[in-house]
Amino acid sequence: MNSTEALMEKWEVQLRKGTLELAILAALQQRTLYGLELLKLLQSLPSTTITEGTLYPLLDRLKRDELVDAQWVQEGDSRPRKYYQLTPLGTQKLTDLTGLWRQSVIDIEFLLANPGPQPLQKTGA
Amino acid sequence: MHQSELNHNEMIHRYLNELRRYLVRLAPHEAQEVIREIESHLFDVMDQQTAAGQNPDVAAILRGFGDARQLAALYVAHIEEGAPPPLGFRAIQRMKKSVTASLYFTMAVFGFSMAFALLFVAGAKFLLPESVGVWSTPHGNSIVVGFVSVPPMATPEVMGWWIVPVAAALAIGVALLTRKVLQVLKQHM
Repeated sequence: MNSTEALMEKWEVQLRKGTLELAILAALQQRTLYGLELLKLLQSLPSTTITEGTLYPLLDRLKRDELVDAQWVQEGDSRPRKYYQLTPLGTQKLTDLTGLWRQSVIDIEFLLANPGPQPLQKTGA
Repeated sequence: MHQSELNHNEMIHRYLNELRRYLVRLAPHEAQEVIREIESHLFDVMDQQTAAGQNPDVAAILRGFGDARQLAALYVAHIEEGAPPPLGFRAIQRMKKSVTASLYFTMAVFGFSMAFALLFVAGAKFLLPESVGVWSTPHGNSIVVGFVSVPPMATPEVMGWWIVPVAAALAIGVALLTRKVLQVLKQHM
């Protein structure tokens, strides 16, 4: 791996780390999922791929912070599974983080869409 | 049950046992919850791989969870970090920690020494039956328990060989109680 690839990987790791909580809260939006379902959903998207060893301790932390709630459910003959859903506090946090995320995307898109050498002239919000 | 299935169960069992050991700082019900969820995940993935006609790859699934010690560290991180104490309270926190640590080691030495002494009394009865026992004066004014070089004169020995099972049971009880107390103290260290 050359230094550019290593830097890119490092940047990706940092980005994923910073957005992981938002990704999990968003995945649980109006949905109840158990750990494996949530893991598969996140792993199906290129930028939210994580491992079991990252997901479960993070779910545990979100539960302690009262952002998600969990219940064991047994359906038919299947093995009992622990299902997660957002709490009202989690829904509020998702709204707040979504606002921050969208503003970041708008700002970065603006910078990318306006290269030099002309000076930047941002108007409005 | 196939040999491969036994191996898979053995690998899972070993991993979960190791994880349980490193989760000792969590409350027992919290640690059990973590183990239960991970166990459910492991068997769920194995079932899905089997249903898809694949040979379950337990080693790969366990790799996803990573080293048991590191995984446990993520679960107990909140205990390590905790809420920072207000300024001026740090000295009290430090003192509390050091008192708990001293209590932990004193308790360990005292409890396990007691258990060992009781076991010693039980064992010594076989070697020196006349010197080990419980003696009581006729009017119950005084009592001598344990291992003596010269048995008290004119006082009957009241337990006989019963001292062996009684001392052994007490030794086990004291050792278990000490272990339990140490577990509780460890959570506060």
